[in-house]
Amino acid sequence: MLTSYTKAVKAESLKLKRSPVWLAFFALPMISAFFGTMNYKMNLGVLKSEWYSLWSQHTLFLCYLFMPALIGTYCSYLWRLEHTRHNWNSFLTAPLPLSSLYLGKLTQAVRVSILGNLWIFALFFICGKLAGIQSPFPREALEWFLCGTVGAVVVCCVQLLLSLIIRSFAVPIGIALAGGILGLYMTNHDYGMNYPYSIYCLGMRANNPNMEISISTLLVNSAGYIIIFAALSVFYLRRHEIAAT
Amino acid sequence: MPTQNLVETHNLTKQYGKIRCVNAVNMQVPPGAIYGFLGPNGAGKSTTLKMILGLARTTEGSITLFDTPVNEKNRMKLLAQTGSLIESPSYYGHLTGEENLRIIQTLKGCSEKDINEVLKIVRLNDARKKLVNHYSLGMKQRLGLAAALLGFPKLLILDEPTNGLDPAGIQEMRELICTLPSGYGITVIVSSHLLGEIDQMADHVGIIRKGELVYQNTLESLHSHSKEQIALRVSHMAIALDLLRQDGIEATQEDGYLLLPMVDDTYVANLCRLLVAQNISLYRVEKREKSLEDIFLSLTGKETSL
Amino acid sequence: MITLRMEFQKIRRKKIALTMCALLCVQFAWLLWSGSHPDENERLNGWISMLYSLPLVSVIMMPVIMSVLASRFADVEHKGNTYKLLNTLRRPGTLYHAKVICGLFFIFAISVAQFIFVIALGYARGYAGHPEWKYYAAAFVLNLSCCLSLYLLQLLLSMLFFNQMIPLVAGLGGSMLGLILMYVKMYSFLPWGGFLSAAQVSMDWNPETKVVHFFYREYSPVELCAVAMIFVWIVVFYAAGRILFGRKEV
Repeated sequence: MLTSYTKAVKAESLKLKRSPVWLAFFALPMISAFFGTMNYKMNLGVLKSEWYSLWSQHTLFLCYLFMPALIGTYCSYLWRLEHTRHNWNSFLTAPLPLSSLYLGKLTQAVRVSILGNLWIFALFFICGKLAGIQSPFPREALEWFLCGTVGAVVVCCVQLLLSLIIRSFAVPIGIALAGGILGLYMTNHDYGMNYPYSIYCLGMRANNPNMEISISTLLVNSAGYIIIFAALSVFYLRRHEIAAT
Repeated sequence: MPTQNLVETHNLTKQYGKIRCVNAVNMQVPPGAIYGFLGPNGAGKSTTLKMILGLARTTEGSITLFDTPVNEKNRMKLLAQTGSLIESPSYYGHLTGEENLRIIQTLKGCSEKDINEVLKIVRLNDARKKLVNHYSLGMKQRLGLAAALLGFPKLLILDEPTNGLDPAGIQEMRELICTLPSGYGITVIVSSHLLGEIDQMADHVGIIRKGELVYQNTLESLHSHSKEQIALRVSHMAIALDLLRQDGIEATQEDGYLLLPMVDDTYVANLCRLLVAQNISLYRVEKREKSLEDIFLSLTGKETSL
Repeated sequence: MITLRMEFQKIRRKKIALTMCALLCVQFAWLLWSGSHPDENERLNGWISMLYSLPLVSVIMMPVIMSVLASRFADVEHKGNTYKLLNTLRRPGTLYHAKVICGLFFIFAISVAQFIFVIALGYARGYAGHPEWKYYAAAFVLNLSCCLSLYLLQLLLSMLFFNQMIPLVAGLGGSMLGLILMYVKMYSFLPWGGFLSAAQVSMDWNPETKVVHFFYREYSPVELCAVAMIFVWIVVFYAAGRILFGRKEV
């Protein structure tokens, strides 16, 4: 027997058929990787740390500025399915716990974020080989990937809450971009671990692969934010009469 | 305390700001009924139905479905036995009709065979592979009904299901709804602002006006209100009224006429004789028929209808 | 005129002005943060360095701000399914024009606010002398034109696609492309490259002494073409919008 969670996930997957919105997660990292590698090749005089230099070129803009916004568009898309065509009526009369319905959405957002992250690392590997880097692929990359993915889940939770409350498609994306930019400031002032949009960049070691971070702080803070924002979303679904107006 | 009604509301009230758009409604829907929920636009029909479905919270009062109180704890269990189509149909336009139904089928956890069956019932079998964006409004509405029918719930709640349909579509939807109780054992609540529509579908009627349930009974008894009356026009109304009361007949005064419930010919003849004997001039004796429409209008108030 | 007033009516309670203000505030915060506590040398080069950072902030934020703005205007119609209704009430082109003018109003307000803030900030920090008005005026006009071309492009995409993810991702991708082009100092003829073409100031960075030297750019003929391209895009996107929304059937 299917549990209510798997039912919700399956229904969400069905809704995403025929709209290849994940393509965005494919295209944007490609732009970043292409120009990052090009810049790396042109500045070999300054960028001498091989894989580490290449990583900073690949992730600098992508992680700080564009991935939060990109995750934001996906979250906006997920809720827009319900915000349009009177779908709140049918969404909220499904005989499943609201938490399962929410987790169905979150699972989709997390799934595409993980795939996006995997793609970023795949591009990193491919571009490095193409750029002729001889040294072995850094082992820490697995840790960067795992920590980055945890950070991406935090962004998913924040953006899902914003896009649930704000019915406009675009406004939450503007907020995500603003959040990413403020993240630059937060990270520079050692406040990044406490700021939802920065955890992703710190986990990915964006722009600074030699950065020392406390993994336990990252995990604890991320778990805290995930629980808070997920709970707020479910609370909003329960208390707010979304379908009544 | 078990009751025999499938749906019961007690003092159901919804307040937005200072306005009570649903006010102390006691709705009773017996099992197997097609309950016509009738009222002008904005009378509180949708809000009432949304509260029954848990889409809107109640300000006061309580709701019982299948002898189970509606609350957060029972929400899932009750929704599993309920199908609904509220206001406009819900759909994902970039998917086909069949894919839309598959989503609901997954969420409801009912059998995949149901999809074929409901598609057949609403006659969308040929359009199942078409994108819903390319459906006509009538087809979307029928798809909405199909989605509500998935899992063949005990209770079906349809809010203005004929809204925006052409006459042929309305006829089709009406025929469809009429077959549900006998064919599938489904109890139906259907709302409308058109009396004629309810008259052709429902066997029970609730009439709501400005948030208050002003009438609730079988359709038959609403029809009995439409029975004929005798109207008298006489020179001395007060004396005539007195005379009638002595005979145990309650007459009412309206627009210079006395209105009597239907009485037989002999009584009328005797009454006329009696009035003349009392020196009351008898101007007119008429037989009146009050139509269902008149009753509806008098219940809902002329100014608010339509 | 009525159609225009209708546009402003439609976005009432949509808090679009609030959203724009919030995004502007982030820009201000960024400018405020970069170059806070200026030293003597920075005070001396203050006005010119400001003209260097401004396009950088613009290239990152403006494409997204424009896509948010355009999506907001177009989505009102998508959600209400009102294209059909409005096209029966007015000539279809009028609706498009109203959205363009409405957007232009916001773009103008944003640009003015941006420059007023920058100039006020410069004086507050005690930058030496006064801004070179010639370059500031050119920067203002080009910045505004660039925003307009992007807005027209986003409006086109937002009205064309029901799925608003497409225009928004285009905005994000464009912003990224523009930023990277600026980073690797490559001029281009792309609409998002306009902010780089429009930049009045360039800089030299000496890797040994780590001294930054700002200077006003000399435009090569190709770079001048890239500037002219901004206006070509405005015309192209506007014409495309006219043609498409003169006969959009929904």
